[in-house]
Amino acid sequence: MIVCVAAVGQQNNPLYIQSFTEADDALKLHHIVHCSLDVVDERVNNPKKSGPTLNETFLGMLYPTENYKVYGYLTNTKVKFILVTTDLDVRDADVRNFFSRFHAAYVDAVSNPFHVPGKKITSRIFADRVRNIVKSFGLSSTG
Amino acid sequence: MEPDVSIETSCMIRVAVIPIGPIPTQLFRDYSSMLLPHHTVSLSSISSFYTEHQKSPFSHQPWDSGSLHFKFLLGSSPPSPWDDFQSHRKILSVIGISHCPSSPDLHSLSDLFASACKPYSSSLVHRCFAFSPGDSQLEDETHKGTNLILFPPADRQTQEFHLLTMMQDLAASLLMEFEKWVLRPESGGTIFKTPLDSQATLSSEEVIKAKKRRLGRAQKTIGDYSLLAGSPVDANAHYATALELARLTGDFFWYAGAMEGSVCALLIDRMGQKDPLLEDEVKYRYNSVILHYRKSFIQDNAQRVSPLSFELEATLKLARFLCRRELAKDVVELLTTAAEGGKSLIDASDRLILYIEIARLFGSLGYHRKAAFFSRQVAQLYLQQGNRLAAISAMQVLAMTTKAYRVQSRASIEHTSSKKETGPAPHDFGKVHQNLIVSLFESQWSTLQMVVLREILLSAVRAGDPLAAWSAAARLLRSYYPLITPAGQNGLASALANSAERLPSGTRCADPALPFIRLHSFPLHPSQVDIVKRNPGREDWWAGSAPSGPFIYTPFSKGEPNQSGKQELVWVVGEPVQVFVELANPCGFDVFVDSIYLSVHSQSFDAFPISVSLPANSSKVITLSGIPTKVGPLSIPGCIVHCFGVITEHFFKDVDNLLLGAAQGLVLSDPFRCCGSAKLKNVAVPAISVVPSLPLLVSHVVGGDGAVTLYEGEIRDVCISLANAGTVPVEQAHISLSGKNQDSVISISYETLQSSLPLKPGAQVTIPITLKAWQLSSVDPDPVSGKNVSAGSGRQVKDRSSPMLLIHYAGPMTNSGEPADVSVLPPGRRLVIPLNICVLQGMSFIKARLLSMEIPAHVGDSRQKMAQLESESTQLATGSERQADRFMKIDPYRGSWGLRFLELELSNPTDVVFEIGVSVQLENSESQDSSVDCSGTEFGYPKTRIDRDYTARVLIPLEHFKLPVLDGAFIVKDSHVNGTATSRSSSFSEKNTKAELNASIKTLISRIKVRWQSGRNSSGELNIKDAIQAALQSSVMDVLLPDPLTFGFRLAKNNLEHEVKRDSVEESDTQLQSSVHSSKVVAHNMTPMEVLVRNNTKEVIRISLSITCRDVAGQNCFEGEKATVLWTGVLNGINMEVPPLQEVKHSFSLYFLVPGEYTLLAAAVIDDANEILRARAKSNTSDEPIFCRGAPFHVQVSGTV
Repeated sequence: MIVCVAAVGQQNNPLYIQSFTEADDALKLHHIVHCSLDVVDERVNNPKKSGPTLNETFLGMLYPTENYKVYGYLTNTKVKFILVTTDLDVRDADVRNFFSRFHAAYVDAVSNPFHVPGKKITSRIFADRVRNIVKSFGLSSTG
Repeated sequence: MEPDVSIETSCMIRVAVIPIGPIPTQLFRDYSSMLLPHHTVSLSSISSFYTEHQKSPFSHQPWDSGSLHFKFLLGSSPPSPWDDFQSHRKILSVIGISHCPSSPDLHSLSDLFASACKPYSSSLVHRCFAFSPGDSQLEDETHKGTNLILFPPADRQTQEFHLLTMMQDLAASLLMEFEKWVLRPESGGTIFKTPLDSQATLSSEEVIKAKKRRLGRAQKTIGDYSLLAGSPVDANAHYATALELARLTGDFFWYAGAMEGSVCALLIDRMGQKDPLLEDEVKYRYNSVILHYRKSFIQDNAQRVSPLSFELEATLKLARFLCRRELAKDVVELLTTAAEGGKSLIDASDRLILYIEIARLFGSLGYHRKAAFFSRQVAQLYLQQGNRLAAISAMQVLAMTTKAYRVQSRASIEHTSSKKETGPAPHDFGKVHQNLIVSLFESQWSTLQMVVLREILLSAVRAGDPLAAWSAAARLLRSYYPLITPAGQNGLASALANSAERLPSGTRCADPALPFIRLHSFPLHPSQVDIVKRNPGREDWWAGSAPSGPFIYTPFSKGEPNQSGKQELVWVVGEPVQVFVELANPCGFDVFVDSIYLSVHSQSFDAFPISVSLPANSSKVITLSGIPTKVGPLSIPGCIVHCFGVITEHFFKDVDNLLLGAAQGLVLSDPFRCCGSAKLKNVAVPAISVVPSLPLLVSHVVGGDGAVTLYEGEIRDVCISLANAGTVPVEQAHISLSGKNQDSVISISYETLQSSLPLKPGAQVTIPITLKAWQLSSVDPDPVSGKNVSAGSGRQVKDRSSPMLLIHYAGPMTNSGEPADVSVLPPGRRLVIPLNICVLQGMSFIKARLLSMEIPAHVGDSRQKMAQLESESTQLATGSERQADRFMKIDPYRGSWGLRFLELELSNPTDVVFEIGVSVQLENSESQDSSVDCSGTEFGYPKTRIDRDYTARVLIPLEHFKLPVLDGAFIVKDSHVNGTATSRSSSFSEKNTKAELNASIKTLISRIKVRWQSGRNSSGELNIKDAIQAALQSSVMDVLLPDPLTFGFRLAKNNLEHEVKRDSVEESDTQLQSSVHSSKVVAHNMTPMEVLVRNNTKEVIRISLSITCRDVAGQNCFEGEKATVLWTGVLNGINMEVPPLQEVKHSFSLYFLVPGEYTLLAAAVIDDANEILRARAKSNTSDEPIFCRGAPFHVQVSGTV
């Protein structure tokens, strides 16, 4: 189950962060997302030069922490997507799929002419869409 | 668990360093800091102190390359229950440090040391280092044989050398002790126990097992000592044995310990070289260590003791060993596991240490956010302890996390960000520092940031550090006020206040709280003290430097402060300056700023503090002032604010960045906008330069600075007094005029100013100025003639209609005491004195018109008296005119008198009384061929008084002028006017005629002056020239052109001729020439008369003439039943032809029955009138008959003789 997704801007500024748990652990998830930037930063600063991963946006699992697994995704504009999940057995394909759909939603959201780049995404439609993506996470693999 | 562990820790000899006797803390620190560099003592250097008592168990001691490692523990530490397990945990030596001057008795000192060493049961070697002994102490022999070592006073280098020797001695002693110790357990039997071993009575089976294990443990311990003794090869050999034995006996815990030792031995052996192979080996072995520690976990005593801390310690050791970027993944994994494991740690302090170590490792790995996260955990653990020291620790740990969360105190930023950008240039605005932009972005992690700041605040309050609390509360409030509820804001405000109470007054804090302060504007110099650059090459040195264009305040410079490239502000030493700043308080409570003043870091500015109170959610623009005290560039980075009990510096740049961020939507909110303040463009801080003192002229109008109230046209003298209020004399000064209505200044006494130069400080000069009030909105000046209309032209009567005096002045070319440098001239100044003239509506002119008055001539009567009565001027003018006109040599006193007046209608809308005086300058300039050249004299008319709200008419008699010939040239052109009285023929070109007429009108007008006076001291002149001209021009045609026909009557009875010539009714220009004779008409007598008809045109005119006579009642006397006059001859329908410019005579006789006064009238109908005549008669149709009537003539009929 996905507990939190986040989009983080080029300057490591949070653009969108949403938790999907009932518990009041937003602060903890914020911390997890914030900490995961360490790992992303390192990947950004030391990109692997090898061929197939040259333009790879999916960063894979960033680190496991407590009961969570944190996955990262880095767009070409250095916007980071972070996924925090409690699932123990996550298939990479699912995560990739999730991220690509999330990316599409993000692109649509920031294409809004009224959106100020670098500002938090407040679009309700984006939020709904993300909620749907989160809901459908992992269903494709089981179905 | 212990902090700061690494794999190499196993080979370090622990030495307790304790103070002996009274010793100041600072000195103790000082002495022990001398000790600390000697943490490694090479074996080769101690060989001289070493004596081999028996065969050394360390057969492979590397005497040439090995070394002993020390770990100094300042202060005491309780013995660990795990001493037996890891020998490096034991305190193997004690070093006492004492300060001799404070402990005079060396004997008691050594006793004191001996007793201090007692608790350290494991300690093998004791030494007490006594510093700075006195001479007597040095001679004291009693301490010989004890461990007391005196360090004679010497310079630090010598002392350090002495200390090194002592340390080498200590190391040698320890080495010998180790040898002794290692040899002992092999002979004797020591029991090695750990808390992990069962405390219960051992069963027989277990005793056997324990005996077996004992061998292995002994081997491991020997290995430990070998390691401490700096002999890794020996150690390795012993460890290998121990591993074997432990494996056999299933003693996992000791197995792991031995393995750890062996890794350390391996690393020591390799002397710190690292290669991937070694790394893999270490990793492999340590994983096994961790595994075995984990295996040794026994459920039975899990409540009491657990090997978990060793497992975690081993993990940390491995992590520290691997801690490099390339291996980040492994390290992160290890640390994550450690953090997970830490949750089941029983001892809170163990967990604390664990988190500290994790945080440190993450930090050194470059994972600052993770490090910060764990630091926060550490701080929380500290806070759980609930005592003050722990709270201080928590606060300090949290302070370290602030960088990662971008909420650091400005003090720490300034500390770290070095001095590389010292004093940013004040005008590099717009180039916001990259760091600041990044911090703006990162400031969006507000959830985390607020938590951290709140924890800092909490810990600071607990720790009793009011300054830190204040700073945290200030940062929280300033950065996150939009996210904090009003109640929370109030809480923070009271936290600020509470903290401030505990702080000494005048405490400074690097972090500003409220209010937000931004630069609003730099007011331009008031025009009274404007500074003008001096152009040394020119006489008019101010030229080119003043703002070009007609405006002093050019609106363009105000609106665009962003074109700041050349914007420069000049301040003068010793003259107060002002800066506008805007304060905003976006929070829900009132902010009272105790004092606020401009912050200038150089000591060249005296700022004046003021206090402000800001209600909740409000902003305010205030003026901050100060006095520059030194010459040179000046920069104002911000304000010093004393608010909430603490002094802080607020930088404009910060707020600018904040606003920039707010504009981009990156920052939560714009504090100024949410206070309702208008959006303001960023104000560039101009380059401010301070120049040396300049003279300063202060002006005031003598008799009050208020506006000078003048009626239109009023002339008054005003005195302006100029005083030099500066400290430098004025050496150059120049007055010029600017603004509107400049010609209202009639004269300025330039000489007065020039003669008073140089104007010493404090001196004063008074300059008289003559002003003439301009016309208020003039009566719709004709756009063509508007050019001539000087005053009062255009739209006006705005506020700024007054002219201004510009006085450019400057001090001496060089300042006294300074070397003469022509290139750097002290600037001059400009003083603008607006002449506040308030023009009131005065006498207003309503209209002007020409009037003519006609006085019928008497037939056969002399009109001399009358002529005199009318006006001398008329007579005079007429006379001269007639001399010139040979066609009109007719007795002027016989004809009908026409008199022309200029009537001016004036009204007085004011509330004072005006007296009007008209004067006409007499001048005989209108005719060029006049033989008499009268010099102009002035003729004054009696004054007319016009009361308030009344209208009056003033009549001005005009001189006569008339054209002798009715010529087509005047009319055909359809222009109003054409010709003067003297242009008598068509030989004049039209242009000439027209111009001449215009000129004559002008000269006429210019001779009329209407002056007024009101009260005692206001007087002026009415400017009505244009009005007169308009009036004249509209009627000039009727007035000036002669009628085509002139009729006259005369008595034919006598031989004397009484000719009376008449002009047209409207014209009053009578051409009369009188003969001296006069005769009487008598009733009941036949009176022969003649009527003379003169043709004034150049064409022949055919007319049908009729003559009538009326009595005083206006009754026709020739006809009707009661005709009183009988006649002979033809009186009606006399057809005659008048040749051009000739006279025709027609005779008749009248018989008056009744004496009295009669009026004779001649009239004619013109046949076949040509166009000129028609135009003159203004007839519309060509069929209309044209009548021409002569002037009436009076006939006085007397009774019988």
